[in-house]
Amino acid sequence: MASIRCWNSTTPEPSSKPLTSVPASDTIKHEGSGNQLIKVSKAMKAYQEKAQALDALMFEKTTEYEIGRRHLANMMGEDPETFTDEDIDTAIEYLFPSGLFEPRARPLMKHPTEVFARKKVAEFDETGRPFHVLFYTGLPNYYQVLHDLSEKVRELDSFSDRMMQYNIHKDPERTLNVGGTEWVKKEQLEDILLEKLKDKQYEFFVRSMNRLLDHPFSYRVEEFIMKFRKHVQISVIHKEIPKLMFTAEGTPYMAAVGRRKTSTASVTVYGRGSGKISINGEDLLYFKYIQDREQVLFPLQFSGLLGKVDVVADVDGGGFSGQSGAIRYAISMAVRSFVDEQMMEKMRLAGLLTRDPRRHERKKPGWKGARAKYTWKKR
Amino acid sequence: MRLPQPVNNTVPGPAMPFSPTTTLNMATLGKKLFILSVRMGRGLWHRGIVSSSNPVQSAVEPLEKLQESSSDAITEQMAKSLKYPDFFKVAELFTVEDLFNARVHLGHREGSLNDHMSQFIFGSRLSHLIFDLDQTATLLREALNFTAHIAFRGGIILFVGRIPQHQVMIENTAKECGEYAHTRYWQGGVLTNSTIQFGSVIRLPDLIIFLHTMNNVIYEHTAIRDAAKMLIPTVGIVDTNCNPNLITYPVPGNDDSAASISLFCNLFKAAILRGKEKRKELLGVH
Repeated sequence: MASIRCWNSTTPEPSSKPLTSVPASDTIKHEGSGNQLIKVSKAMKAYQEKAQALDALMFEKTTEYEIGRRHLANMMGEDPETFTDEDIDTAIEYLFPSGLFEPRARPLMKHPTEVFARKKVAEFDETGRPFHVLFYTGLPNYYQVLHDLSEKVRELDSFSDRMMQYNIHKDPERTLNVGGTEWVKKEQLEDILLEKLKDKQYEFFVRSMNRLLDHPFSYRVEEFIMKFRKHVQISVIHKEIPKLMFTAEGTPYMAAVGRRKTSTASVTVYGRGSGKISINGEDLLYFKYIQDREQVLFPLQFSGLLGKVDVVADVDGGGFSGQSGAIRYAISMAVRSFVDEQMMEKMRLAGLLTRDPRRHERKKPGWKGARAKYTWKKR
Repeated sequence: MRLPQPVNNTVPGPAMPFSPTTTLNMATLGKKLFILSVRMGRGLWHRGIVSSSNPVQSAVEPLEKLQESSSDAITEQMAKSLKYPDFFKVAELFTVEDLFNARVHLGHREGSLNDHMSQFIFGSRLSHLIFDLDQTATLLREALNFTAHIAFRGGIILFVGRIPQHQVMIENTAKECGEYAHTRYWQGGVLTNSTIQFGSVIRLPDLIIFLHTMNNVIYEHTAIRDAAKMLIPTVGIVDTNCNPNLITYPVPGNDDSAASISLFCNLFKAAILRGKEKRKELLGVH
């Protein structure tokens, strides 16, 4: 390849390279590609050596880990065959008690795959040809996922076309249920793909997957979709909901206490009722204002128990607004025992099961109120 | 299409005049010459239609099976393959009628015509430009021949195209012929700064095939300029609004219809597979 030389170039003359008289493209290409091949095979050799070294290291560490597991099991007096990773954690905690605050600073024994970050294996062979079709994009795994996604959308579209011929439309029973799951976060996706992504690329991925999810026949590609969804724990499920209690006559009832501002309400909700409400011995008309009456009725109306249960409430402290809020909260907590999980989740989302933490904030000296300040004068 | 009869010392006439009144007359195949010499593209395209270097050899000798697999013998065989004008018989892969049926002749409107493309235009109808499919056929045969030769020599071929409608088709084509595709956002240093872009010394493509030369309506794909910088030969489907200057083997034709892109994908795939087959024959089964 002839080098371009300028009148003021300071680079030395290139070493004697035989320039063919007729630079036919194929001979130069051969030479060029030959040199390139030599360069590439050196790089490839280095690449392969690194990959082999990593493999050897992982093998060594894994065997050490397994030997360590058996030793620990023997020390703890457990069966080495059935000694799980969780057992290892508890054993280490017991044998090496640490007073350090930071959990990651305490003694740790984990499987090498969790300690050493996973890396991509060799991406091209000894001739320099990459293994992956999309290698030159720089993000082969990411774009492979997008490619698969497009193919799936096409498949589903052609399936829905065929179904339309037989007049079969979306089957509501076979809709893909992704309740309790959400798309993997950007860091998790990077871990899956072993490639660093930009925020825009992650957002595009999520938009595209949502398109696939919204397809009426997306249940056919459930496996593909679930690879990129992770489960989310709903905290309310873990809370213990008290079981219904029964009176002497056999009517189910539930009692609960609720507070709002400085009011306290203790409420009993009786099942198999007719919608009677008693507050401090009085009717719902205990509250003069409609808003307070609505607050009391809202949890019953929302859960559909309006004419089906009786409510007996004792309330003390505060004013009408605080008292009605306290009764509402208490009724909601009691109603949990009468109602199923789905309705309870809906109540939680509606805000009925949240204790309103707001209190009266004191006035500060030099301020007009709790937050309001006196008019500021520049001079 | 039948292989043309061996014709010596015949110079083809000038390119068809840009005249709206000329009737479409592309079926006169017998009058067309077959282009002979292998291109010596060095990043600059030049038309060698007026070339009478070697006469056409209609009989194609088969490759000799290797007795000893020494690299010299392989190189000799590979050099021998260059003596034939159409070693892989790519001319058999398509006819002008196939191009017409795939709507390859349909260009954009007159207003968006790139001046460099006017030589490939047959005429226009109701201000829609029509490609001269005879020229397209000739250039396409050259391009396919070159592609097959590159595949024969074990070269890396990269399919590039940036139109979303055809992305998946192009990627599938590349997969089916064992080559590579890049139909996504082009990062600047892929060819010109590859060591840093990919983290290690890599082998660059030996041929880049553009199914779409434009990124959007206005801008050309960066890879055209970069391939020319890195002295990588390119094959490209150039539409009436494209600039064919930096492309080694431009193929004038429609790049907007799915039918025409599908045809081009299949043709390139077939040419590559033929080249690889011959390579397998030559090197034996590895």
